[in-house]
Amino acid sequence: MTEPQPFSPKSVALLEEIRKKYPTGRAALMPALYVAQEEFGWLRPEALKAVAEFLGLPEMTVRSTATFYSMYRHRKAGRNVIRLCTNVSCMVLGAGTLKGVLGNVYGLAPGGTSPDGRFSLEVADCIGACGKGPAMIVNDDLHTGLDAKKILEVLENYK
Amino acid sequence: MILITINGKKIELDGPVTIFEAARRNGIDIPSLCHHPALELWGGCRMCLVEIEKMPRLQTSCTVKAADGMAVYTETPRVVAARKAMLEFLLINHPLQCPTCDKAGECALQDLTVRYGAVAGRFEEGKRTFPENVDDPVIVRNMERCIMCTRCVRMCDGVQGAFAIGVVGRGAGSHVEPFSGGRYNCEYCGNCLNVCPVGAIMSRLHRYTYRPWQMDKTVKTICSFCGVGCTILLEVRGDAIQKVSPAFGKGVNNGLLCGRGMFGYGYAGSPERLKTPLVRKDGKLVPASWDEALALAARRLLEVKAQHGGRAIAGIAGGRCTNEENYAFQKFMRAGLGSNNIDSTARLGLLHAQDLLEGIFGQGAAANVIRGIPHSDAVLVVACDPTRTNPVMGLQVRAASKAGKKVVAIGHAPGLKRHMTHHLSAAFGHEGIALAGLLRELLRQKKALPGENPEFEAAIMGFSELPSPEEVRRLAGVPEAALTQAAEALKDVSTSSIIAGRELAASMDAKRNFMLLAAIGYVLNSRFFLVSEHPNEQGLIDMGCTPDMLPGGRPLALQTFRERCEHEWGARLDPEPGLTLMEMFEQAGGAIRAMYIMGENPAFNLPGRKKIKEALEKKLDFLVVQDIFLTETASLADVVLPSKAWSEKEGTYTNLEKRIQKLAQATGKNHEAGMEDWRILALIGRLAGLGNMPYASASDIIDEIARVSPLHAGLRYEDLEEDGMMWPYKGKPLRMSGGMQPLPAAKAAATLDRREEDTGQTGPALVIEKPLFHSGSLSRHSGALLDIMGGPEAKMAPGTAAGLGICEGGSVKISTAEGEMVLKAKLEKGLPAGAIFAGNNFGDAGALGLFGYELEPGSKTPVPRAEGLEITPL
Repeated sequence: MTEPQPFSPKSVALLEEIRKKYPTGRAALMPALYVAQEEFGWLRPEALKAVAEFLGLPEMTVRSTATFYSMYRHRKAGRNVIRLCTNVSCMVLGAGTLKGVLGNVYGLAPGGTSPDGRFSLEVADCIGACGKGPAMIVNDDLHTGLDAKKILEVLENYK
Repeated sequence: MILITINGKKIELDGPVTIFEAARRNGIDIPSLCHHPALELWGGCRMCLVEIEKMPRLQTSCTVKAADGMAVYTETPRVVAARKAMLEFLLINHPLQCPTCDKAGECALQDLTVRYGAVAGRFEEGKRTFPENVDDPVIVRNMERCIMCTRCVRMCDGVQGAFAIGVVGRGAGSHVEPFSGGRYNCEYCGNCLNVCPVGAIMSRLHRYTYRPWQMDKTVKTICSFCGVGCTILLEVRGDAIQKVSPAFGKGVNNGLLCGRGMFGYGYAGSPERLKTPLVRKDGKLVPASWDEALALAARRLLEVKAQHGGRAIAGIAGGRCTNEENYAFQKFMRAGLGSNNIDSTARLGLLHAQDLLEGIFGQGAAANVIRGIPHSDAVLVVACDPTRTNPVMGLQVRAASKAGKKVVAIGHAPGLKRHMTHHLSAAFGHEGIALAGLLRELLRQKKALPGENPEFEAAIMGFSELPSPEEVRRLAGVPEAALTQAAEALKDVSTSSIIAGRELAASMDAKRNFMLLAAIGYVLNSRFFLVSEHPNEQGLIDMGCTPDMLPGGRPLALQTFRERCEHEWGARLDPEPGLTLMEMFEQAGGAIRAMYIMGENPAFNLPGRKKIKEALEKKLDFLVVQDIFLTETASLADVVLPSKAWSEKEGTYTNLEKRIQKLAQATGKNHEAGMEDWRILALIGRLAGLGNMPYASASDIIDEIARVSPLHAGLRYEDLEEDGMMWPYKGKPLRMSGGMQPLPAAKAAATLDRREEDTGQTGPALVIEKPLFHSGSLSRHSGALLDIMGGPEAKMAPGTAAGLGICEGGSVKISTAEGEMVLKAKLEKGLPAGAIFAGNNFGDAGALGLFGYELEPGSKTPVPRAEGLEITPL
């Protein structure tokens, strides 16, 4: 009789936590979207519907909010998401070269996904690691002091 | 008192209003793109900027409230420069498609550009583009034309409460679309496109067919679909309705419409309309001249009358016909043919509901103002979904919810899902038990009753054996907590509205149900509303289209009223009440030999279809049908007489508030094919020497109604302007003496018969779906409504489907003792478990045909029953 639950038990636990923290479903929407993004890879329509259902919000309200913010992924992403900082400090320290390296080695363009689906590249505006640039975040891990060689070594750990 | 000046003009204001509103009231025009009187304030377009003395910056006049001593200037060079700049920004992206845009000529942006616009823009950027979206059958989007005023979104979220569209993206990329990005799949009210100031969201129905300035006339009239009686504007070119427009600020609906009213008008211009009278020759209906058809009808009716007496003829009046037509009909039956066998589909519930309610509170108990609903502290919706049956009344319930009022629904009301504070999810047909439980909880939780009517209160306190929350859960499936919480929420309200469905009256427990409803209504100080499916269902009752009542709701049994009619009509009336709707068919071939049916389709719209068809086809000597289409009923007739559609005639409708409103003729001036129903009756009457109907117009009939019906005494057709006239019009209501009496007598009826009402068994149940997009069998002639919902379906919850082995889109056979039909399954989350919903709208798939019925003994209301129900996947 019960409908298939779109979220894993782990996500449900996280969502329950989030729901408890906020007075209304609407207030809990943005953190809930992150959980859905984690679960579904990106905010595809099913993810938005699942969040709407969980929080008791209209689907359209969820989509409007989600599409307003660029931090959410609105396209299918690779298995690992690289957020490469290109803001002033990192740029001065050579982030542009790194972008070129990623393009040459993995076929990655900003906003794109490598043909093998292994990496997606997002160009980030300052990730708060200006003292140790160039820096990037891969999934949840911060990597600093990168150069053309080190970035490839680091990324070798992400399959 | 607030004193301000606008452009030097002194203006006095009674209370705080916005500067924009103050200016509007005083004839000073401030331009705006995003402001709309029906919507929440927004202040987003910056076109209404004004200069206010002592305020350094320009202010948005639509959001700033006028304060005493303000000096406002609306057209200073600074203001004009700002507006010019705003327009220049908008025109960066707005494409100059005016030559091909349907909106040209009534476009706010176009008008403002003419008024303030720059000669040339200074921006060199390319325009943003969006492909035209035609994924939807009735709505087309051109988002590059959108100016982001968000009127449509505020309408959809804040007023319609559908949350179907929203702004997607941000900055220059933002645009409006439904969740799917393509088709809306929404309530299709069309209110979004009615508020769009530009050509971004438009109706596809009249795409590229005309220019606004080519319209011949705009006719204000009343919608033809349900009992709300919305005021609409028909835009007419030639002899065709080009579109339906809202009339903001006017009518019951204040400009809001529903999908049926907005997009359903196409039936009037349908090529399937009857074009000539038809008569049956050698078993087949063939076209005939009016003279031939009318003469045949007159001759045969006279023959039946001579042979079997007037009582052998029965008549069914139509809820889509006007008051004048229905009045003429019952007069023709009573005075002309000598028969009181007159009834209508009001017998399916509305009539009984009204009788029960008026028996308790007196006549006019359900004559209340729809627009007052959001002003009550609470709304109790029982056994109906007003958002489907009477959508614009449903919007008032949603408005109440938005205003923070309590909204409690008893039974299935999917359209209120997001708008109710409490849901008592009683199983179908068991809403009365939830009512009983709610009353018990209210009495338990309330400190004191109002004290207005001690006799009534004694009766209420005397209700014995009201079920406990635990029993209500067991008997009706309502969780205990929901019941106690709903009572808790309701117990302290000072005013409330109760909206009840006809299913509550089409029940063997009708009396008990209404006794409980009345008791709750008394305790909560409620105004009552009875949902009504047809635009003039109330008029049927008021005009005396019932076997035992004369016009004005006066009993036939009362000699004084009978004599009054006899005097006016010049004929003796039979003092014996006639047969009710279902009895007529049951006695066809016996006591009933002929039938006259006006604007009704009993072969499709009643339970027990097999027997009714048999009665109409085989058992009657003669059948006359007046209709605009060759309906299931008309195709069985001996004579079919084409009538006029609602847009083609004058007359009045009485809505569910008992408000009498005027129709206006918009098209069909030269419609040779059809005649007003009253005119047909008058012609037959003249040919047969029956009845005295010397009418030249609908207004003549109103004059006669005013002479006959004490309720309409003194009413004149000319009086019915603007918002019509509310009950009791100008006349006197008939108050039942000691209106509170029936309660003590019915004390026993309020207790529950526990033997039969256990919902423990939950086999599948067949429920007649009342779809938002169709109205009886009429709307199957509206192309746009068919595009939205093209065919019948069997809706059920995924869990129910799984249990029955049914999958989405699969074929399902539904069979009962009455027959069987095969429908496509549609799975929808949130529907009550075990229920299969099927509508009664489409030709070979009217689900009512699967129902037999049993008559409620007192009122002879048919209580539909689906015996031997079997649901099998194919």
